[in-house]
Amino acid sequence: MAADNLVAARGAQARPDWPALARRAWRRRFTGQSMLLAFLVVVSAPIVLPYFWMVVIAFTARTGGVASDVLWTACAVIAPAVLIYSIVHMSVPAPRLRLAAGLVLLAIAGALLAALIGERLHLDNFRFLTRANFVEEIRSKATSGAQFPSVWNAFFNSLLLAVSQTVIILTVSSLAGYYISRFAFRGRSVFLQGMLVLHAFPAMTLIIPIFLMLHWIGLLDTIVGVMLVLAAIELPFYVFVMKGFFDGVPWDIEMSAMTDGATRRQAFRLVVLPQVRFGLIAVAVFAFIRAWEEYIFVRTFLIENKNWVMSLYLFWVSDDVMGVDYGIVAAVAVFYVLPSFLLYVFCQKYLTQMTIGGIKG
Amino acid sequence: MARIELKNLRKEWGGAIAVAGIDLAIEDGAFVAVLGPSGCGKSTTLMMLAGIYRPTSGDITFDGARVNDVEARGRNVGIVFQSYALYPNMTVLENVMFPLRFKTIERTEAERRSREVATLVRIDGLLDRRPGQLSGGQQQRVALARALVKRPHLLLLDEPLSNLDAGLRLTMRTEIRRIQRELGVTTILVTHDQVEATTMADRVVVMNSGRVEQQGTAEDLYERPATLFVASFVGSPPINLFDGHAAGGMLSVNEARLPLADPVQGAVVLGLRPESLRVNGSGDSGRTISRISAVEPMGREVLYTADSAFGVIRFLEAGAEPRHRESDDVPLGFPPASALLFDKDSGRRLDARVAA
Ligand SMILES: Nc1ncnc2c1ncn2[C@@H]1O[C@H](COP(=O)(O)OP(=O)(O)OP(=O)(O)O)[C@@H](O)[C@H]1O
Ligand SMILES: [Mg+2]
Repeated sequence: MAADNLVAARGAQARPDWPALARRAWRRRFTGQSMLLAFLVVVSAPIVLPYFWMVVIAFTARTGGVASDVLWTACAVIAPAVLIYSIVHMSVPAPRLRLAAGLVLLAIAGALLAALIGERLHLDNFRFLTRANFVEEIRSKATSGAQFPSVWNAFFNSLLLAVSQTVIILTVSSLAGYYISRFAFRGRSVFLQGMLVLHAFPAMTLIIPIFLMLHWIGLLDTIVGVMLVLAAIELPFYVFVMKGFFDGVPWDIEMSAMTDGATRRQAFRLVVLPQVRFGLIAVAVFAFIRAWEEYIFVRTFLIENKNWVMSLYLFWVSDDVMGVDYGIVAAVAVFYVLPSFLLYVFCQKYLTQMTIGGIKG
Repeated sequence: MARIELKNLRKEWGGAIAVAGIDLAIEDGAFVAVLGPSGCGKSTTLMMLAGIYRPTSGDITFDGARVNDVEARGRNVGIVFQSYALYPNMTVLENVMFPLRFKTIERTEAERRSREVATLVRIDGLLDRRPGQLSGGQQQRVALARALVKRPHLLLLDEPLSNLDAGLRLTMRTEIRRIQRELGVTTILVTHDQVEATTMADRVVVMNSGRVEQQGTAEDLYERPATLFVASFVGSPPINLFDGHAAGGMLSVNEARLPLADPVQGAVVLGLRPESLRVNGSGDSGRTISRISAVEPMGREVLYTADSAFGVIRFLEAGAEPRHRESDDVPLGFPPASALLFDKDSGRRLDARVAA
C-alpha cells in the first residue's frame, strides 16, 4: 500500500502541469517586458519631448509667440497612441498583426492631428531658407546691424567644415592607427599613453592660447583655422579607435597578401582596409557630426558673419534684445539637426560596431 | 620548382634567439617536413624563406642565387598559414585569384587557372562562397589552392592540419601528398606531429630551440637518433631513458648491470624503445624479472608499465588481448642491438652497443 502511494506520488510529481507552467512563464515575460518598455518610455521622454516640441513649434508658431495649446493637443493625441501601441506590442505575439495595429494607430493619430491642429500648420517659419534679410522684417534695422547672411552660406560653411574634418580624420586616423598597430618604434607606448592623456584634457582650457596662435598665424576668423584646431583636438581619440580596429586584423592576412605578390601598400588597401570598414564608417560619421555640431570653437574663432556656420547662425537668429521669434528659431534648429539625424539613421547599424572595435583595442 | 639552401641562417628578436644557425639543403621537388616542439623556430624559419622576416645573418639561396634581399612578393613562394589567412572580404574564387592580380595575366586566363587549381584541391563547388561560410577543411583547401595558383617555386605549409579533426587530417595528408607529387613542387611542411611528418615527407628535419638536431628519413630518426632529444621526440609511446654509469666494460643502471660490447667510460644514458622490449625473447640481454604495475589496451597492442631493475619501464606487446595482468612478474629483455646509448653530457648518441 505504502509502496503504491509512493509510486503514485512520484508519477504525479514526474508529470508537471505544463500549461500552468507555460502560463506562468508567459506572465513573467509579459510583466518583465512591459516594465522595461515603461522604463524606456519614461527615460526617453525628456529627450524625445524637446525635439518633438521643436518640430511642432517650427511648423505652427506665428510671430509674436508660441501657442502652447498646440503642443498639448499634439501630446494628447500622441501619448495615448504610444501607450495603446505598447499594450498591443506586449499582448500580440504575431509581428504581422502588430504591424497592422501600428499602421491603424498611426492612421488614426495622423487623422486626429490633422483635424485638431491641421489648419494651424504652416511653413512661414522656414522663410529664412529663401530670404536672407528676413531678420530685418522682424527686427528694426538698428538691432540687426549689418546685413544678415543667407542660411545657405552658413550651411555650406558647416558642410565644408564637417566634410573636411571627416576627410582629415579618416585619412590620418587610418594611417596612424595602422602604423601604431603594426610597427614597433621607439616611444610607441609613451606615444599611446600621451594620446590618451591628451584626450582626457578638456580642450576648452586651451582656447585662449589657440586664439592667440591662430591670430599670429593669420588663421583667425577662417574656416581652415577652425578645421585644423578641431582636427588636432579630435584626432588622438580616433587614432586610438582605429588602432583598436587594426589590432583586430590578423597579421597572417597581410603577410599572406605580401607573399601573394602585393606590396605593403596594396596589402593595406586590398586586404586590411576592407576588414576595418565598419570602423572607418563609424569614425567618419562621428567626425562629421562632431564638426557639424561644433559650437565653442567656432564661436570663439569665427567672427565675421560670412564665416558663420550653422550653429552660429542659430545663435544669432535667437539672439535679440527685443524678444525672440521662437517659430523661426525652431525652424532653423530643425533645418540644422536634419543632416545629423539622417546620417545617424542611415549609419546606425555601423555605429554600434565601434564599441566592439574599441574594446578590442 | 627550385633547389633551396639555407646557410647558417640566424634570426634574433632583440637579443632573443629564435633560429640559431641552420644549415639545410632541399632538393628540387623534394617534400621535407620540419618537426619540432612549440617555439623551436619552425615558423620563423618558414617566414624567412617566404621573405616576411629578414634573417639576422646567414644566407638563403634558391637555385644557387642568394635571395636574402628579395622581397616576399618577388620570391614566388606559396604559403599556407596555420590560420589559413583567407581574405574574409573576398569570395573563394577571388581568394584563389588574388595572387594572379599582381602578375601580367589576363582576367579570363587567371580565372581559368584558378578554376583548374580549385578542381585539383576539390573546392570547385564552393567558389562563390565566402571563407566564413566554409568548414575548416574546406578553408584549408582554399588556402592550398591560393598558394598553388601562382605556380610557386616553393610551397610552405605551416601546421596546415592542426585545426582539423582526426578523420579529415588523414584524408588531407594523402591529398596534400598527392597534389605535391602531381605538381612536383618543392615543399616544406612544418608540424609538431611526428606521424604527420614521417608519413608525408621524404625527409624529416628535427629542430630544437633554433637548431637542426638531425635530418633524415623516418627510419633514420627512429633507429639511429643522433641525439637524446631526437630519441625522445620521435616514437610513440616515448622511449624509456635511464641514467647509468659505464666503467670497465660494464654499464650499471640502478640495480641492473649490462655488459658492453665497446669500450665506454663515464655517465651514459640508456634508451630502450617500448616496442623493442619483450617478454621471454631468446638471446635477449638485460633480462630482469619485472613486476607489471599498469595495463593499458590500445586497440591492436597493449601498453604495460612495469617496475624493473632499471626503474619504471614501459613496453608494448602486439595483440588486442592483454597477456599479462597487474602484479604479474615477467622476464623482460631486449635484443642487444636495439639498445641505444647516449653520452649524458653532450646528449649525442654513442656508437657503442650493449653485448649479448
Ligand atoms: N615577432 C616576434 N617577436 C619576438 N619574438 C618572436 C617573434 N616571433 C617569434 N618569436 C619567438 O621566436 C621563437 C620561435 O618562434 P616560432 O614562431 O618560430 O616557433 P614555432 O616553432 O613555429 O612554434 P609553434 O609550433 O608553437 O608554432 C619563440 O620563442 C617566439 O617567442
Ligand atoms: Mg609556428
